[in-house]
Amino acid sequence: MKARDNPFRTGRVLTVRYRLPDQTWPELLQRLATLNYRAAIVGPEGSGKTTLLEDLAVQLAELGRTTRSLRLNRQQPRLSRDRLIQFFAELNPPDIVLLDGAEQMGPLAWRRFQFRTRHCGGLVITSHHGSLLPTLIHTSTTPELFNDIVSELIPDHALALRATTDALFHQHRGNLRDALRELYDRWSHGTLPMQITPTATSP
Amino acid sequence: MNELKIGTTDGRTSLEPGEQIEVVAEWQLDERPSAVELRLVWYTQGKGDEDVQIVDSTRFDAPAVFESRRWTVQLPNGPYSFSGKLISLIWALELVVEPSEESRRLDLIVAPHGQEVVLHRDFAAT
Repeated sequence: MKARDNPFRTGRVLTVRYRLPDQTWPELLQRLATLNYRAAIVGPEGSGKTTLLEDLAVQLAELGRTTRSLRLNRQQPRLSRDRLIQFFAELNPPDIVLLDGAEQMGPLAWRRFQFRTRHCGGLVITSHHGSLLPTLIHTSTTPELFNDIVSELIPDHALALRATTDALFHQHRGNLRDALRELYDRWSHGTLPMQITPTATSP
Repeated sequence: MNELKIGTTDGRTSLEPGEQIEVVAEWQLDERPSAVELRLVWYTQGKGDEDVQIVDSTRFDAPAVFESRRWTVQLPNGPYSFSGKLISLIWALELVVEPSEESRRLDLIVAPHGQEVVLHRDFAAT
């Protein structure tokens, strides 16, 4: 099973975009405007916050708004001084800052960042908790959503995988990123149900 | 509607490391581009983040909306195209139109005898 043929490889998974469950993009953008473009996308790990933030950047660009992005995660919880200097030097007043992983910032770093972005066009963050900025939207996952995503990735086999995807969803407590990574591993090892060829039994 | 095409003049996509190839690119665009760039790249696919490396490129400034261009490029000696379970390294030719960033990619194999190196093989039990 070659990595480039694995339907759950990162490049393919990244083509799956965020599905707004209860509202349209115009409605979400209207809410963001109401919050003066300072808001948080809140949700647990693997619930699509980064994907939604990326899609928001595209929507804002279509409205003629410019965005500047920064990303923090467990592997890189801090931005270097040089990176920050460069970022703020290139930041223009109308720009909306998109900060992914704001929960990685300590309280002091967060207050400094808020202060330094106070005059720009907006600040939208992703966070695991909702206390940093007004909440724009809560991201969450369901077994049905996971199955829909799997159907998009392997449309011919999604039905056969339903029991597997339901079990993986619960095993990973709704973290779709981890569940998709496990599907990657199982596919590469040939252990998914449709990959296992029944052996003939003797009469 | 824009049309982009890229390939080798002899149609081969399985190539030897170090050989020289001639690339042909054609485009038919609705609007005049500011530039068109041809690239020789390798990229990774698999479980982790994708990496892309532009190994060589050539740029055509202010081309016409409808053109065909050729580019002679020397393939490097490595890395070879390979596939394992966790990662594949894939060579490709790319045609990129500016400023729209519309692009077309053609995957290649660059490896000895034009055969991708497979890092694992499943052997049937004997």
